[in-house]
Amino acid sequence: MSQTAANDNGAAALSAAETAFRQSLAGPMVANATVSALRAAGRAAFEATGLPGIRDEAWKYTNLRALARRAFAHGGPVPVPDDAAVESAAIGGLAGPRLVFVNGHYVAELSDLPTVSGLDIASLASLIQDPEAELPENLCRLADPGQHPFSALNQGLLEHGVLLRTHTGTVISDPVYLLFLSVPGAEPQTCHPRVFIDSAVDSSLSVLEHYVSLGSSQNLTNVVTELQLDRGSRLRHYRVQDEATTAFHVGGVFARVGRDARLESHNLHFGAALARLDLEVALNQPGAEVEMNGLYCLGGRQHVDNHTRVDHFAPHTRSTEDYRGVLNDRSRGVFNGKAIVHEDAQKIEAHQSNSNLLLSEQAEVDTKPELEIYADDVKCSHGATVGQLDQTALFYLRSRGIDAEAARALLTFAFAEAVVGRVELEPVRRRLETAVAGALPDRSLIENLIGADA
Amino acid sequence: MLSINNLQASVGGKQILNGLDLEVEAGQVHAIMGPNGSGKSTLANVLAGREGYEVTGGSVVYRDQDLLELAPEERAREGVFLAFQYPVEIPGVNNAYLLKAALNAQRKHRGEPELDAFEFLALVKDRMKLMGMDESFLNRGVNEGFSGGEKKRNEILQMAVLEPRLAVLDETDSGLDIDALRIVAGGVNSLRSADRAIVLVTHYQRLLDYIEPDFVHVLSGGRIVKTGDKDLALELESRGYDWTREAASA
Repeated sequence: MSQTAANDNGAAALSAAETAFRQSLAGPMVANATVSALRAAGRAAFEATGLPGIRDEAWKYTNLRALARRAFAHGGPVPVPDDAAVESAAIGGLAGPRLVFVNGHYVAELSDLPTVSGLDIASLASLIQDPEAELPENLCRLADPGQHPFSALNQGLLEHGVLLRTHTGTVISDPVYLLFLSVPGAEPQTCHPRVFIDSAVDSSLSVLEHYVSLGSSQNLTNVVTELQLDRGSRLRHYRVQDEATTAFHVGGVFARVGRDARLESHNLHFGAALARLDLEVALNQPGAEVEMNGLYCLGGRQHVDNHTRVDHFAPHTRSTEDYRGVLNDRSRGVFNGKAIVHEDAQKIEAHQSNSNLLLSEQAEVDTKPELEIYADDVKCSHGATVGQLDQTALFYLRSRGIDAEAARALLTFAFAEAVVGRVELEPVRRRLETAVAGALPDRSLIENLIGADA
Repeated sequence: MLSINNLQASVGGKQILNGLDLEVEAGQVHAIMGPNGSGKSTLANVLAGREGYEVTGGSVVYRDQDLLELAPEERAREGVFLAFQYPVEIPGVNNAYLLKAALNAQRKHRGEPELDAFEFLALVKDRMKLMGMDESFLNRGVNEGFSGGEKKRNEILQMAVLEPRLAVLDETDSGLDIDALRIVAGGVNSLRSADRAIVLVTHYQRLLDYIEPDFVHVLSGGRIVKTGDKDLALELESRGYDWTREAASA
């Protein structure tokens, strides 16, 4: 990676964004020594690589030119949105704690933090100025700043975010809702929140990260989530990116899954002009398991890039992946899914699938499922499809009296529903179904389908 | 009700129907029989308006309308129903939703009030009983993971819910064991009525043991070459199709 990679003509000048990032990184020190050390490491890693460019293999199909042009402001005053705007953006009807972040900053007045037995919740910002505060041992260790420039940037600016920790053996039934609101200011803003979730031995937890804009924000959200799953734990991680179609969103989710632990990851994109997500899961111990569900529903000129990677480090581990894309207009999707079966990781299963529905001739998708296998007793499969709606199914529906437009909308909805239907939190599933319908050109035709379970 | 005149149609540039004539009145059951490749399924698909089946000549008049001018969904709303030879699996669209959407599309077209969820469920459960189907199937994807027999039963269930004026059953008997055949035939028989016409497209006489037709037509080379009553089907069963071809060219 070269320092100037975002600058396509290779000139030495740094982009506006990168110049602004570097200035932000040179900000004041904090009281907590651990945080200071982590920040310094993050800063060094970012300065060593700079913003990635299309010459980097991992960024081959995602050009950051539009992002690099903007000098994002960092750490300015936090606008306070009114309650009505927050409630209309939020997913209602979820029991459990709700933490609201505005441009990355935790806002207590908008949040609701009932005591949940068996669960510790802490705002990161309140800890970093405390010299005595103890931070999770693995904070910033699951995401590798050397491999991910945006994670390095996030780490260099470590300040806001949340730490969640379950207690051994506790089953927490109500989900934890993390609502990240992006609010436009006079100039484009950036924020770098970090989420760290420690699932203790034999515990069970559901967490929803929800990213929404209020207004047509051109902000950049650059978030890193670290998930540590101890032995026998179960974590359902929902990630819904529904920011304005003018916004920039970069995210990393880095998980380490222990013995007999199970991670369920749901990663759904509807918003942003440009979004990139790296999801990396290490199956470290026998019995570790991950299920990855993904959906991107795009229109206009949206560009969404999902890079996923699963490392099977231990025998008897299992991964399944189903990522689907619905692409309309001139939108573009990128999928790169890697499963690596390391030496001695025998008796593992790895299944991977990426299917894409192109609703317009100008829509485009680059898909690359990859398997690297260094063990010999394994069950693996992978595949990718890119296509249009099934004409036979279309005719079948029309022959029953459903008009052509509605039949197309219905089949598209059904295609996405295969992923959305796996979301167990009902209010979230309803919101997603509405978002899928909203992404279709003719949503009114299937509106009565939403919640139409007979 | 249905008047087919000198119908010619091609599929993928290949001429399949070569001047087919057929008159069907309300209350009648017609069986169209014929060897593979004679054009039986092409006729069924042309009547339903499937893309890729190109009409190159002739006319089809259905209840004083030019049927060929109507889009598939308009035909359905006018009361034409095709039971598919190979019903399509549509994961993610549940059976209940499809049935309700289909029924209400028709009712709306006829200017009748749409059924609410309660009325709809009462109707569909009644029809499911007739077809010996378990209620759990309503929340499954359309034909998803169904056995061959279940798919055919589901076609007849749709027909029983939609109550078409003209039902065309394309090889509904193929792939059915004897028990499933009885249930399917029972469903069809219960739908026989003075204001409904049924056209059975079939390769074998077997189905006609259970659904007695008023007319039996032999299709060969894209034309109807022989017409008779149910005894013609029995004759076909014992003698095969070859003699009808010879009779036609003689």
